[in-house]
Amino acid sequence: MALDEPGFDQAYRAHASRLRAVAFNVLHEREAAEDAVHNALMRVWSGGSFRADRGPLLPFLIACVRREALDMVRGTKRRHLREVKAVADDPLSIDETAAIDPIETRRVQLALGSLPDAQRDVIARAYFGQRTLLEVARETDIPLGTVKSRLAAGLRRLHTVLSPGVST
Amino acid sequence: MTQHLEDDAELYALGFTDRERSDEIEAHLATCAACCARVAAAEAVGASLAAALPPMPAAKSQRRTWWPQLATAAAVVFAATSVLEGNVVHVASDRAQRTDVALSVLASSHFAHTTLTSNPGIVAKTIYSRDGSWVYVVANGAPAGAHLTLREGAASHDLGALDAGTPSTLFVRQPGRGDEFDLVVDGKVVARGKPAY
Repeated sequence: MALDEPGFDQAYRAHASRLRAVAFNVLHEREAAEDAVHNALMRVWSGGSFRADRGPLLPFLIACVRREALDMVRGTKRRHLREVKAVADDPLSIDETAAIDPIETRRVQLALGSLPDAQRDVIARAYFGQRTLLEVARETDIPLGTVKSRLAAGLRRLHTVLSPGVST
Repeated sequence: MTQHLEDDAELYALGFTDRERSDEIEAHLATCAACCARVAAAEAVGASLAAALPPMPAAKSQRRTWWPQLATAAAVVFAATSVLEGNVVHVASDRAQRTDVALSVLASSHFAHTTLTSNPGIVAKTIYSRDGSWVYVVANGAPAGAHLTLREGAASHDLGALDAGTPSTLFVRQPGRGDEFDLVVDGKVVARGKPAY
């Protein structure tokens, strides 16, 4: 089942800037980011991979765009697009004033602050620091399997904290 | 029956699984409501994290010509720019505009697409509005001089010749609705596909 086009467009229009930010954060190049957004949306539209029982559309689209962008990075031709920053970078710094949604950003910061250090550090490096999990493992001298399990556990915990109705 | 995703649900949601593993995960998700819910929860977190990212910087004005890798995407874009800017098909020069226009057309003009069944070596696809107000065809490997026709019952209307690009394309306004789109070369149908309005 394909998405109905008006619903698809509405979601895109409402959240285009966030989709672009996700792609740009991975690719660091406007054109490539536009391509990632466009390709991901077309894939969703033509593949009909979204199911209503899966939850709201926007998080799904964001995930699709991020996967598309990361797939582009993983392709050898796009490898140069990704800037792996020095280990000395502080991956935890989030500039609220530059964020897409300052209120949500504040919520995210509080939620991240509630995580055990080990989980927060992995999420910060992998997501905001744009490392691969292998790079995180090397940087932190933690086995790859542990990086994965900490990331997954951290996300589950974040979901609990960020879910509506759950007190932080 | 495949195994549940466990930690891969969260890793997949944030794009940390490679394409091969992602394909396996998507196959599993199609059949497993529990893992779907787990992935959706992780994707919701991903959406929150995305809110903390800085927006993409504004574009510098530049003109580029570049062919998108996905034929579907390209075709939609071409159709979109053509619909809005006239019936001359051209490469959209700005990717942001390309994306916005393409998606505007998704909303404003209900459209569908069909892949034509074609002779070996030809890959052709049509995108068309359900109200018959436009059709766009993209073909790889179509012989020079190929025409798009729309058959309606016994009658066949020539909609025009595809251009010589790679892929070759043709945008047609107001083709009306019919039973079958055909790619015709020297009077012979080399690709055909039925629209579903």
